[in-house]
Amino acid sequence: MVTNVTNFSRSGLYDWMAQRVSAVALAAYFLFLLGFLLANPDLSYADWHGLFSHTAMRIFSLLALVALGVHAWVGMWTISTDYLTPMALGKWATVVRFLFQGTCGVAMFSFFVWGVQILWGI
Amino acid sequence: MLYALDKSLASEEGFAQVKACMTSPLAKLVIWGLLSALLYHLVAGLRHLIMDMGVGETLEGGKLGSQIVLAVSAVIIVLAGVWIW
Repeated sequence: MVTNVTNFSRSGLYDWMAQRVSAVALAAYFLFLLGFLLANPDLSYADWHGLFSHTAMRIFSLLALVALGVHAWVGMWTISTDYLTPMALGKWATVVRFLFQGTCGVAMFSFFVWGVQILWGI
Repeated sequence: MLYALDKSLASEEGFAQVKACMTSPLAKLVIWGLLSALLYHLVAGLRHLIMDMGVGETLEGGKLGSQIVLAVSAVIIVLAGVWIW
């Protein structure tokens, strides 16, 4: 069996599942936020602050942040291993791909930490 | 997006600033663009989940499914534009 050390779970099947589970979590979060904004056209600061002060909303938001990191990693990993290959880029492909994946990883980690800071800072 | 969330939650003035910024035509266009990409991704992703369940996996089904995704996305994206403006 061929294994790849940079994919999310060392297993295509687990990655496949992680991508779909995180997708459902993200869809639920997005649709909830969209519904909330549609239901409150004249949104006040008190409503907005109250929503994100709720423990349930913080759990939901944190879940969405984790799901975003997982989903984005599986997605960007798939793109980078499909297109940033020796066939497309020659002998430097591994270096380019690794740097690309590293940048993605740093971005996802930063978004996560920043998000936690926002959620728990208010 | 996270910056806007941070500012809108940090203080009442920040919330007002973000709200005022959202009324500019350029900001609305950017929001619409981001929202369009996300909505299309969502609709296409739902199609993936439906196909994972074994629906529409034939060549004809795949063609029909992709056309449905484009049509549904276009309608939702137009509706999103109406909502924003």
